[in-house]
Amino acid sequence: MNMRHTELTDDLQERASLFAAGAMSDSERLEYARHLDEDQCTVCQAEVKELQSAISMLAFSVPSSSPSPTVKVRLMQQARQAVPVSRPQPAGFRWLQWATAIIALTSVAVALSFMRTNGELRRETDALKSRIARLEVQLAERQDTIATLTRAGVRVVDLAGQGPNTQASGRIFWDQSKKQWLFSVRNLPPAPADKDYQLWFVPKNGLPISAKVFNTEADGSVTIEVPVPDTATNLNAAAVTTEPAGGLPQPTGPFALLGAM
Amino acid sequence: MFLEMVEDDRTEQDREWIRRMASKDADALDAFYTRYNRLAFSLVLRIVSNREDAEDVLMDVFWQVWQQASRYDVSRGKPVAWLLTIARTRAIDRLRSTGRHEVATSDPDKHNDPTAAPAQPDPFVQTDTRKAVHEALQSLQEQQRIPVEMAYFQGMSHTEIAAALGQPLGTVKDRIRTGIMHLRKRLRPYL
Repeated sequence: MNMRHTELTDDLQERASLFAAGAMSDSERLEYARHLDEDQCTVCQAEVKELQSAISMLAFSVPSSSPSPTVKVRLMQQARQAVPVSRPQPAGFRWLQWATAIIALTSVAVALSFMRTNGELRRETDALKSRIARLEVQLAERQDTIATLTRAGVRVVDLAGQGPNTQASGRIFWDQSKKQWLFSVRNLPPAPADKDYQLWFVPKNGLPISAKVFNTEADGSVTIEVPVPDTATNLNAAAVTTEPAGGLPQPTGPFALLGAM
Repeated sequence: MFLEMVEDDRTEQDREWIRRMASKDADALDAFYTRYNRLAFSLVLRIVSNREDAEDVLMDVFWQVWQQASRYDVSRGKPVAWLLTIARTRAIDRLRSTGRHEVATSDPDKHNDPTAAPAQPDPFVQTDTRKAVHEALQSLQEQQRIPVEMAYFQGMSHTEIAAALGQPLGTVKDRIRTGIMHLRKRLRPYL
């Protein structure tokens, strides 16, 4: 095989299929790969591209499993170490910088500890007491929430950050008996002043249905309760989009969060 | 229509991450890994049937993506297909190197879940994609599905498959071809 083909025959299609499936012998595979690369046969290249995409879909038939988080830690360490430093400094110089910084920080800490007066300590104590009181209220609220979430018949749906919000996440606790979602968001930056986030019920068929217009707190989190209307049946997904302030009847903006049911 | 828009957005974002990885932007690798680690890991684990080996292979797969991002060619397909091709190739290499390559089975279904842990939904994979793939496989005749899965998941050549199934080589080749053609036809909206 040392040529560019002009049309796709059954024989060529069979070779492309066997290559895509990984079913060729080693020698056949090497020869065929050479044909694709060196002969630049666009007929065979196009067929292989489609068939490889088709057979790679088999990965979606495998039950989902998660690797250990250490894989990502190792990968990212290795990648960040491999990124070239723009202005490398000699090792001895870096050591001197570190030593100087540590000595300076220690000196500042020691000086501050001597400067602290009894009055400052009292103010700190008052602030801590006030904070404990607020936390006790929050704890009671959380206990109420946990009681709701652990009720039988509550379904959990995860939403993943989209676009520039990959670090964001959402979780819906769907209390089917009460026809209510408890929707919690993390790490989603507040929308700009002229925008809001809008949560949508996405049915398998038909148009999305607006569920709630909301915004997140400064820390990117929010938890809201959303009633599920009787019209929101046969749901396929839940989505959050960024829309003009006040929301719209149908989504027009980019996706911020998305989760399949 | 709504979910197809999401899929297009997702592919465009994947391509943007690949471009940024080519410029050695580690945040792009972080995002790409976050989106696809479970999908790639599940495939690799299905092939090598050992968590420790699968995690080693997964690391190699994403490292290769990071190193070869500048060589990714848009005309060769979606980034996720590129990633899964690398993952499958690396996993088969590992399978062969560890000598755990299992020859001859007419029952590939027994490998469907090599882990003890129960399967959990992957929030980064659309449910309807999984459903479409399951339906496409269900609609495939068993005599086509088995050789396709033996090749893809076990790395067996047409000759090995023919010997294992006791079928003529020409028959096996034809069934692999018609099987993949059928998958392509059924899954075209997702390619």
